Amino acid sequence: MASGMVRTRIWRDILAGCLLVAVLAIVPALIPARAFQDFVIRCSSMALFATSLNLLVGYTGLSSFGHGMFFGLGTYSFALLMQRTGVALPVAFLLTLLITAVTAVAVGAICIRLRLIYFAFVTLAMQMLLHSVVISWVGLTGGDQGLMGGIPRRSVLGVDLGLQYNLYVFSAVVLVAGLLLMRHIVNTAFGTSLRMIRDNEVRAAFLGIVVWRVKLTVFVLSAVFASVGGMVMSLFVSGAYPELINWPISGDAIFAIVMGGIGSFLGPAVGTMILLLLNDVVTRQTEYYGLALGLIILAFALGLRRGVLDFITERLGGRPAGGIS
Amino acid sequence: MRANQAALLNRRTVLAASAGSLAMPFIARAQANPLKIGIQSIFSGPIALLGTSSRGGFQPEIDRINATGGLLGRQIQPVYRDSKGQPQEAARVARELVNTDGCELLLDAEASSGAFAVQEVVRDLGVLCIHCAAETSSLTADPKLRAPTAFRSARQGVHDAIVGGVHSAKVAEAKKLTKWATCSPDYAFGRDTTAQFLEFLKHFAPNVETVSQSWPKLGQPDFTEVITKILQARPQALYSALYAGDLSAFINQGNVYAMFGAMEVFVPAMGDLPVLTGVKNLPAGIQSACRYLPAFPDTAANEAWYEAYRKANNNDYPTNWSWECATGIRLMEAAVKKAGSTDGKGVAAALEGLTIDSVFSTTGKVTMRAEDHTLIDYAIGWGTTIPKAPFLTAIEPGDWGQIAELETEWKKKNGYV
Repeated sequence: MASGMVRTRIWRDILAGCLLVAVLAIVPALIPARAFQDFVIRCSSMALFATSLNLLVGYTGLSSFGHGMFFGLGTYSFALLMQRTGVALPVAFLLTLLITAVTAVAVGAICIRLRLIYFAFVTLAMQMLLHSVVISWVGLTGGDQGLMGGIPRRSVLGVDLGLQYNLYVFSAVVLVAGLLLMRHIVNTAFGTSLRMIRDNEVRAAFLGIVVWRVKLTVFVLSAVFASVGGMVMSLFVSGAYPELINWPISGDAIFAIVMGGIGSFLGPAVGTMILLLLNDVVTRQTEYYGLALGLIILAFALGLRRGVLDFITERLGGRPAGGIS
Repeated sequence: MRANQAALLNRRTVLAASAGSLAMPFIARAQANPLKIGIQSIFSGPIALLGTSSRGGFQPEIDRINATGGLLGRQIQPVYRDSKGQPQEAARVARELVNTDGCELLLDAEASSGAFAVQEVVRDLGVLCIHCAAETSSLTADPKLRAPTAFRSARQGVHDAIVGGVHSAKVAEAKKLTKWATCSPDYAFGRDTTAQFLEFLKHFAPNVETVSQSWPKLGQPDFTEVITKILQARPQALYSALYAGDLSAFINQGNVYAMFGAMEVFVPAMGDLPVLTGVKNLPAGIQSACRYLPAFPDTAANEAWYEAYRKANNNDYPTNWSWECATGIRLMEAAVKKAGSTDGKGVAAALEGLTIDSVFSTTGKVTMRAEDHTLIDYAIGWGTTIPKAPFLTAIEPGDWGQIAELETEWKKKNGYV
């Protein structure tokens, strides 16, 4: 019975995802605004990144301040593989996932044994370390100038991602697939273990959960999803730049989670949309972007006291899916 | 009934009038059909001077063009956007300017990393773009990075390195300077520029030996450690690629240690007015490139441009970026007129090999070189600092024949030819 309900939920999610992709694919025929397509591509990249961070922050209670290292690693690994080797895009995509996973195992093995602020700061230190490597290794990464020269052979199964519409649909598909997978993860028994660890780590251990293994697994999984976001960004900017692996990018994901809602699965994606919209609108109006954005975020924090989606869910009488009220 | 009808008419009249007045700006705009030019740079943060002094170079030219009937009979409407110094934002802004704002041409006053991101967007969209501030040579020198509709109106790093190498070698020979130290910012620009300078210096003065190299961090507030290290190495000459605020801080702190009397100093970025006027006690005798000065070229036209710039920009000093941006829009103006349209390919064809009159050249003309889409024949030279205006004297202009010859050698060496 229970497994039947789970299957129904999975199919419902897949159907909703397919519908979203179909709608997005049709939109450019009705509204030929290329800026909208750009927005969706960027949003896909950052939403995957922010949602992957929420697997750690919202579901496991691990506040990583250096999650951007995996986003950046995704952009650099993918761009370098495409530029320096002759592999096809799907192969570069899979190899990037592998590189990220291996790196995440190494970083996670050091970090996950630490708790609270120590975990946060060691992840931040790791990101700063990786950023320094990128800046210093000029021969490989281009240093502070970034990896120049564009991404060659941008085609998947004969579809040229150099064309904006194709990249737009590809990004939407990747976003939906990524979100569906992450949603499935948090709804499995493994997801329940994550919430148990977040709520009471000692009790979870007493119940037989091998805490470090679960933490390491979710750390690696979230890193892999972040790197997928990084690869989409790499295709959008046609390269890789040190700003994409520097620590403020982790701050952007944290902002997105806080604004969208830490307790709702789609909260980080909603937060990303708000953040990017604010960025685009505010940048058009003023050069004092930081000041304007700071005031708006302050208004969100003091006015709603939680993320937008958490606020709406609670107003509708529900409880955020992540279980945080 | 009649009263109702009258009321209805009134309402209709009011509604029609309201709709008309609301639509008026759009109708007027459509009729005027302005030519939108997207201009992006860094207008916020620590290097906002790049954006403000670039805008200072663009806007008077736009006003001049508009006052004389516009370009192709259309008034230019500049759309300024801030990239905040982030390459991914620079790429987004470039796309937005073309796709959303309807800009037909792009003027990019981004720093090099932003310019490389814009270059990829330009390659995708096929819009005409002139990079007006990026000096990294590979942007146009490397055929793999070049884009068919992208050009550069800024000076190029390798040109500066050649002229600097020739001038410094002459001074080194004359004063028997063989022991050299370097002090440059610790990132790609600083390391590349220093390597290129030493390469050309040693080409002309093979006896030169590097005895100490320091790489301070960008924005480093305290240079004591670096200055002590340089003084301990006892070099006869020092080369530094520091610039802007870092350079001012380095000069001010070096003065305390009497460093500038102990060795001959070569600083290419010294010859820019914000630095020359920003240093507390400008030491005499520093060898520097001329980035922009009203005294080089020493012509009435250059002096007049300088005065006009300051008048139009709250008495601010023009920077190196200002003349590069003014040159960029002048080249764009001439090419669009020649092509008779704003089509990327058409204007690109018109720009290739285009020569225009320029106050920023010792010959009175600058050319957009066809083979690699980069500016040549602009004023480039080295001089010696004095504490008062005009700040740089005995400016020796670079020889463009020699620059072209050595640049070709350099390109061959790097596999660009």
